[in-house]
Amino acid sequence: MQVLSAAIVAISLLAAASCARGDGSPSPANASATPYTVLDDQGSQLRTDFNRNVGSIRLLFVVDPICPTCLRGLADMNRDLLAGTADPRIHTFVVHEPVLGLARVAPWLRPAGGEDVAKAEQLLHNPNVQHYWNPSGAFGRLLSHAVGLKNSEGPVYAWDVWLLYGPEVKWEGTDPPRPRLLMHQLGTLGSSTEFPHLDSRAFAQQVRASLAQLPPLATPAPAASPQ
Amino acid sequence: MSGKTRVIGTAGGALGLGAFAAAVGACCGLPWAVALLGVSGAVALARLSFLLPYALLGAGGLLAVAFWWVYRSPAVCADGTCDTAGRRPLRWIVWVAALFVIGLGAVALTVG
Repeated sequence: MQVLSAAIVAISLLAAASCARGDGSPSPANASATPYTVLDDQGSQLRTDFNRNVGSIRLLFVVDPICPTCLRGLADMNRDLLAGTADPRIHTFVVHEPVLGLARVAPWLRPAGGEDVAKAEQLLHNPNVQHYWNPSGAFGRLLSHAVGLKNSEGPVYAWDVWLLYGPEVKWEGTDPPRPRLLMHQLGTLGSSTEFPHLDSRAFAQQVRASLAQLPPLATPAPAASPQ
Repeated sequence: MSGKTRVIGTAGGALGLGAFAAAVGACCGLPWAVALLGVSGAVALARLSFLLPYALLGAGGLLAVAFWWVYRSPAVCADGTCDTAGRRPLRWIVWVAALFVIGLGAVALTVG
């Protein structure tokens, strides 16, 4: 039994060690950080960029940059979709907002800051990704209202959500448009049939299917450099 | 192996599994993982979240074994002639471990 206990403790320590810093995790010092845009509460900058890329497939990821589940979602999207292509017909917008801790009820206590965006954005290796930081978190409410994210108790704040837009969609008015596909990792949404739980492989398949309906590129898209 | 070592080892294993469950369960609800582990560490921790129910079940199982050991009647004492007072500290240890595991399990299930 002592052996069993020792084995359990060892497994726990190994798991913790595998999670620890120093395992090649990116750090700000060695990062070639992409600059991010501070997003106002109406999402004006995002709307401009979104509409500028009408005609291409647009992906919108909304995450908290210090939420491990969101970061895992980013890593999975990178592995299953973005790292393998540099196709200019795919544009990805990542909105980072503070959610964890008391951020939503007491924004001045928010633990996530712009410096966390710089760390999180290293998970995506694709030339056509733009990052935004919405310090007030208002974009989550705007998006929730726009796409009808709710459960039996009322509206559900939009974060850890993953949206796919077709090439024809334009953002008109104040609210973001409804997506072709929305996946999430929110326990509060339960087993929603309208919005499936995030499956990065299924999401990537949908993106590829949407891409196949676009006119082909004049020259084949290069693969993204492996990282 | 003495009974004392067995009980302490089992209760310690339950505590270790409970702590692991709490770390995995709370990783996504508390803003500590990225600060402590870095981005890739937090991603790895989130990938381990599927182990949460197994860790809780394992902790519960180990506690059950520990309770069985400290409360069972040894065969040689079937006639009630043995002094069980010597087991009292071990029972305290198991009860305290059980309380900690319950607390850690509550953290794992409610915070995440």
